[in-house]
Amino acid sequence: MTSMTKPRYAALARWLGGVVVHAALVLALVTVGVFLIVRLVPGDPAQMVLGLKASPAQIADMRHRLGIDQPIGRQFTSFVTTLLTTGDTGESIAYHVSSRALVLDRLPVSLWLVGCSAALVVAISLPLAMTAALHRGSWIDQLVRIVPTVTLGMPEFWVGLVLVLVLAVTLRIFPVGGTQPGIDGMLYSMALPSLTIALAQTPFIVRSLRTRILEVLGADFVTTLRAAGLSRRAIRRHVMRNALLPALQLYGMKVSFLIGGTLVVEQVFGLRGVGTLLFAAITARDFPLIQAVAMYCAIGVVLVSTLVRVAGGLIDYRVREGRGGEE
Amino acid sequence: MTTRTASSASSAVPARDRAGRPPRTLVAGLVLLALIVLAVALIPILSPYDPIAEDIAAMLQPPSPVHPFGTDQLGRDILTRVAAAGRIDLALMVGVEAAPFVIGTAAGLVAGFYGGWPDRVITLLSDALIAFPFYLLVAVVAFVTGTGMKGIFLTFLIMGWIIFARTVKGATASLASAEWVESARVMGFSDWSILTRQMLPNVLSQAVAVLVSDMVALLVAIVTLGYLGLGIAPPTPDWGTMIADGQSFLATRWWVSTLPGCAVVLVGIALALIGDGLNDARRDA
Amino acid sequence: MTTKNLKKGLRGALAAGIAAVLALSLAACSQTGGQTTSATGESGANGQSQTTFTYARSAAVTSFNLWTEITSNNAFAIDKVFEPLVSFDKDGKIIDWLAKSHKISDDGLTYTFTLRDGLKFSDGTDVTAADAVFSIKQHQAEKDAALPLTADIASVDAPDDKTVEIKLNSAYTPLLAELANFSNGIVPKDFGGKSESAFFKNPVGTGPFVVSKWDKSGDLTFAKNKNYWQQGKPGIDKLVYKVVEDGTQAVNQLKTGEVDGIESPALENIDELADGADTKIETTGSWVTDELFFNTADEHFSDVHVRRALAYALNRDDVTKAVTFGHAVTANTVLPKAIRYSTQDSIKPLNNDQAKAKSELEQSKYPQGFSAKILVPSGNNAYQQTAQLLQSAAAKIGVKLDIDSVDMATFRSRFKAFDYQIMINSAQADYPDADSIIDFQADPDGFSKSYWTSYSNDEVTKELKQAQVTPDGDERAALYEKIQQTLADEVPYIPLYSSDIVKAVRKNVNGLEVLPNDSVRFQDVTLG
Repeated sequence: MTSMTKPRYAALARWLGGVVVHAALVLALVTVGVFLIVRLVPGDPAQMVLGLKASPAQIADMRHRLGIDQPIGRQFTSFVTTLLTTGDTGESIAYHVSSRALVLDRLPVSLWLVGCSAALVVAISLPLAMTAALHRGSWIDQLVRIVPTVTLGMPEFWVGLVLVLVLAVTLRIFPVGGTQPGIDGMLYSMALPSLTIALAQTPFIVRSLRTRILEVLGADFVTTLRAAGLSRRAIRRHVMRNALLPALQLYGMKVSFLIGGTLVVEQVFGLRGVGTLLFAAITARDFPLIQAVAMYCAIGVVLVSTLVRVAGGLIDYRVREGRGGEE
Repeated sequence: MTTRTASSASSAVPARDRAGRPPRTLVAGLVLLALIVLAVALIPILSPYDPIAEDIAAMLQPPSPVHPFGTDQLGRDILTRVAAAGRIDLALMVGVEAAPFVIGTAAGLVAGFYGGWPDRVITLLSDALIAFPFYLLVAVVAFVTGTGMKGIFLTFLIMGWIIFARTVKGATASLASAEWVESARVMGFSDWSILTRQMLPNVLSQAVAVLVSDMVALLVAIVTLGYLGLGIAPPTPDWGTMIADGQSFLATRWWVSTLPGCAVVLVGIALALIGDGLNDARRDA
Repeated sequence: MTTKNLKKGLRGALAAGIAAVLALSLAACSQTGGQTTSATGESGANGQSQTTFTYARSAAVTSFNLWTEITSNNAFAIDKVFEPLVSFDKDGKIIDWLAKSHKISDDGLTYTFTLRDGLKFSDGTDVTAADAVFSIKQHQAEKDAALPLTADIASVDAPDDKTVEIKLNSAYTPLLAELANFSNGIVPKDFGGKSESAFFKNPVGTGPFVVSKWDKSGDLTFAKNKNYWQQGKPGIDKLVYKVVEDGTQAVNQLKTGEVDGIESPALENIDELADGADTKIETTGSWVTDELFFNTADEHFSDVHVRRALAYALNRDDVTKAVTFGHAVTANTVLPKAIRYSTQDSIKPLNNDQAKAKSELEQSKYPQGFSAKILVPSGNNAYQQTAQLLQSAAAKIGVKLDIDSVDMATFRSRFKAFDYQIMINSAQADYPDADSIIDFQADPDGFSKSYWTSYSNDEVTKELKQAQVTPDGDERAALYEKIQQTLADEVPYIPLYSSDIVKAVRKNVNGLEVLPNDSVRFQDVTLG
């Protein structure tokens, strides 16, 4: 109900500006939120660094050197200053190196994992959903809908452990864990971890994709196309195009959840990505490092969701008007 | 082209299932769930074992007629514990979802109906929460409340409403533009009565379908928290802690974590079937 | 050979298959991909004669500063690079190490060490007594010392190039054992001309290994020290400390040969690894006792009868069996058997006895029972199980215990602020002397206030101070025997079990020496 009368590019620019401002606000909220929340939690980084037998004087001294004995307002201003001047969140308390460097070092493994599993999910779900929808009500449809639900109730760590036990330890087809050099080595190492993630996500995606396809199949234009005597293949293409967008949006949300959320799979497969880094940082109350991981993950999430939104918005102006069907 | 208002989507899909008869998936799911609830209710009563009484002499026995699911590290009967844990986990699943469901549905109604700044605030808040690393949130809550149900409840209160808000917002927004809303306003109906009498009944079925499938996700999340040491504290039997405690025996004593795992899988299948059935029923109505 | 080919073929086919599917996502992340992996076990590309031992550990090495570090991730890397004058063997017995002999004067005030001949640092320079003097003085001056020298040292001198002389103002028997600690390793005088921080980034010591590649948040590769004083050792060319955080993952990597050893295999996996087709275990007794600690400042647990009641109620053998799978001994006393003067076999502990438990509770201020909480670190499976056993045992005498499970950092902050009633924790000797444990656990004047129990018994305090100045022998043994019995009777803590030190390795690994402080010596290791 906004600007249909204004020139289209101006409206587009305004909408894009809004998207960017929104993204910036989200990032700011996350950054401040993480800063406050980790400092309000019980537990002391100095205690974790110094170990059990440190004397109270040594602990006080360490707290002073880490700057965590200062009032939280002062800590916040110095945090923001460091962030704006250096782009870093400070030296990691546990590892004595730049937090940003640590995150950037671990990021590729997590990106590989997210990328590979996303691709695998699409590769599995799309044909399944299409087949099921085109054979609605048949036994194939029932099979496609019911079989994946078996993995729905399986926790990722358990699936991962079983896959390792069977395919890596017993049959020795895949590596037990860790990463191997080179692109083929990486793909080889990512096979089981991304399969683990894909098995957990496929049921959701197959079912919602199937629903979308059915809805599109039932939409007026398809009836029209059918009436016009278009070939099955042509219709299928039309259906795909119209069903894919909402599915993409739905999956965009899942992928953004995966960013920084691959902890369990990383742990089970001994992958050193940002998930395990974050967990180690939380355990040690490594404030600068927690902050760095949280920020980079938030940037990733915002990037993915903004891209999905922009792509969706450009294709379908309904989304621009806030009438987007998210589910 | 692809406008997908609730009315056109529901009427356009050819209804294969006979009108008036609930979808087969729904029936199957409900039957399965009923069986699970029955087992969970009866087994602890009929079992000769106490789910929390240890018997070290009987530790880690494989499944046998005496202990159909075997025993765990402290010699407790796993079958009895799986059932006792089911009581807690199933109740927790429903209890934890209740508040997010209500809050999310309300937020989604408001955002979808009014648009404008309520929508913007709710969207910003939900986007920020999604961008916040989930495990950081989980850990922080657990550190503050101590591990246990309180932490799980709070975590999913903070995160759980988003999915309902988004679903309901989308559905409400497409309804709110319909002409009959305008006419209802003209006829002098208050916003409150339009929202609760007209909108809510229309979007509720979608929200419930999401609720059912979200419950499985929640159950798996609780189990995963157990693996990370952030789940329900012992001695309360819980599927998550049981699976997690047994994971290091997976190669040598498979039953310790696999059999509780099967319980979660069964619940997952039941709820997925129900969710599917509800969706079918909604579309075919 | 055929399986290898099959594996290769499979791997290729698989990579090709996935690659086709992944083309899109790859474009997004391929530019960042290649650099992430570092050398792992298989990459001995620079020569077939190179032998590499890959050791799976749960945490990365973050510092080589031998004076300020204490946690095992760093300590057991430091002790591969720096070595002390004296050390200890598999049984915890003190042995000469860089010193070829040592002498303690009869008054216990003068310690004289004579260095071995031909000692060299890894950079080829000779080791002299001046280096040892510098090292000890530097340690004394270190403000952040994690394991400070507690003896009242008057002077540290080098009368000649081969002799180190430490003089004390008052006798202090544990000194020799303290000197055996990794924190008293020898560094070159004035850090060989470098700054302290530069030196510890690229440390030079006398140990069997030198740092070759170090990722502070990940793997560490050691190369063999070509100037090592033990001729012809070490037997391996490279030692890789590989970080594998997850215990199950480490076990699986050992089974498939991706690593050659695991530093801390979970006790529940040990039988499986001991009987494995390709794996075996190496073990020795430990210096660690896992215990239940009572906050004696708490209104309930200030009552000795309450503590005794719980000690009688708990079946320690059950705890040991349930959580250690037979790889531990039930502890009767706070001193592990591997520490001299432990009365593990002769002490009269409060063993499980339901009647006595009830009668103790009746004599207490709470004959009707009461409620309290057990503080446990979450994620520690053994402690979670132990807490449940204690809970059941207490319930039988009418004491209701709740389990308060919090994460490690919170746990530490809480008990150090005395904010607990009962906790489960472990006590470890840092060096092979009874004082290392007794002083930390029973001295109310130390900052640990009897291991945060606030337990205080003037008699015990007096005896433990006396034992510090009494030379080794029967008199010292008698003092420690008395202390241990008093602690067992007054129960500020219930010793539960003392787990074995266990390392799991591949079958072809020979010569690994396991030490009671949980470290290992690699210099004799060969891969068969």
